[in-house]
Amino acid sequence: MKCEWIRENIVLHVYGELADDTRHELEQHVSRCGDCAAELKAEQDFHALLSQDRAAEPTPNLLAASRMRLQEALETAPQGSWWSRLAFDPANWLRQVRFSPALASVILILGFAGGVGTTYKIYGSRTVPAGGITATNNTPAVPAEASISGISSVTPIAGTDQVTIKYNTVSTEEAQGSLGDQKIQQLLLYAARNNYNSGVRVDSVDLLAQRTGDLQVREALVYALQNDTNPGVRLKSLGALGQYVKDDTNVRDAVLRALLNDSNQGVRIEALRLIEPVKADGSVRGVLMALAAKDQSQYIKSQARTLLAQLPEID
Amino acid sequence: MVDRQINDRQINRRVDDTMLIREAQRGNRAAFEELVRHYDQAVLRLALHLTGTEHDAQDVYQDAFLKAYKNIGSFRFECSFYTWIYRIVTNLCLDHLRKRSVRKEDAPVAKDSDGGEYDLLDQVADIRAGANPERDLMRRQLGSRIAGALEKLTPRERMVFELKHYHGLKLRTVGEILHTTEETAKNTLFRATQKLRGQLSDMR
Repeated sequence: MKCEWIRENIVLHVYGELADDTRHELEQHVSRCGDCAAELKAEQDFHALLSQDRAAEPTPNLLAASRMRLQEALETAPQGSWWSRLAFDPANWLRQVRFSPALASVILILGFAGGVGTTYKIYGSRTVPAGGITATNNTPAVPAEASISGISSVTPIAGTDQVTIKYNTVSTEEAQGSLGDQKIQQLLLYAARNNYNSGVRVDSVDLLAQRTGDLQVREALVYALQNDTNPGVRLKSLGALGQYVKDDTNVRDAVLRALLNDSNQGVRIEALRLIEPVKADGSVRGVLMALAAKDQSQYIKSQARTLLAQLPEID
Repeated sequence: MVDRQINDRQINRRVDDTMLIREAQRGNRAAFEELVRHYDQAVLRLALHLTGTEHDAQDVYQDAFLKAYKNIGSFRFECSFYTWIYRIVTNLCLDHLRKRSVRKEDAPVAKDSDGGEYDLLDQVADIRAGANPERDLMRRQLGSRIAGALEKLTPRERMVFELKHYHGLKLRTVGEILHTTEETAKNTLFRATQKLRGQLSDMR
């Protein structure tokens, strides 16, 4: 019985899937049982034999072709309506409640406690003077107007002159540190993607450009190049990504997309300049041919033709 | 220290994915395309090895991400996006394997875009330095035998073995992807390995 159990678990042992105690038990048994030791050796040899054969990696051309084909299809593909997320799904709701009753209770209790706490705090800190709601002048506990991000509800209490106001506050914090600091990097990555102020995004991208060796930074720059509404931010991202056009296919694809689709002529001309070292690449050649044939800009059209003319003929 | 860095990177990636998913759910196609880039190489690799042809792998890739795009609105963060997209891909691959096992096609022979046949194993670049022709030939023969033996597994055994052996996924994740338990995934891996050992017994 023991040997049978061991043999069933040897495969899992070889793949590192056994729990620590089970592994210990198996190793103890194998050290005493010759048959099971031989079985373990045979399984390890077989695993080593199989490991000589690796799954082929898709070629960069296959990956690029698949991406371009998908992009074309996405242009016409309808997306599931966003409100389907909000639609009430009784089965799903029941399943969630069944699996997380404790979490649901905690959220409920915290909700009540938060509500009671907020109301209590305002009651405790303010005394509304008779004859008007000019509470802000008399209640130092209420934050300054500039830090109130919104009023969520105003509820008069019937029969009294009291009023309950729920408001959200914001506060500005400051972080200082070197570019190598992870927290600083996270803030810059966040600012590059999300800030409403394009000046802040330009500054963030400018600083991130010094850290393009980090894959995450590069991805943020690619995102900015593709999505930022400000051409200055897109141009800065493009400049920072330039050195990776040759080696990073993600960067190359993003630059090609900017070359094809960017609404700003300056960004497109810069993208065209950057792809020059990889003009012989299949996908780049395709884009150049499209530009040379029918681009609206005479300059880009003639530049694309010039680059194509420099390429060797393909039979 | 290194573990912590990897862990941090995984967390950052998850946060990043969450933002992209929410954007994609609001209809931002560029965000979805970036999300695709986080996973598409692994998806294409899985599809390529399982289907055996670049053409079929491209079809699986295309169908999987279009399906994800159409259904991203119903993604509720109950599992990771990784598990979700793998679930879609493995379902498509399983359909493909089932259809193929009915047709009884030969595995290692692939068709290029012009319809001509070639040996898929010839497409695998030998990246080892100083590889010699004799060893190269043996490696190709081994690859061909293994591919033949894999073809004899049931589609589900093949899928579990593929995800575990070639993609290094934990069996718990494999179970989640295939909508089954870790225990069932373990039993399936055991069966698959036993069958493969039987098929390749003369090679040891």
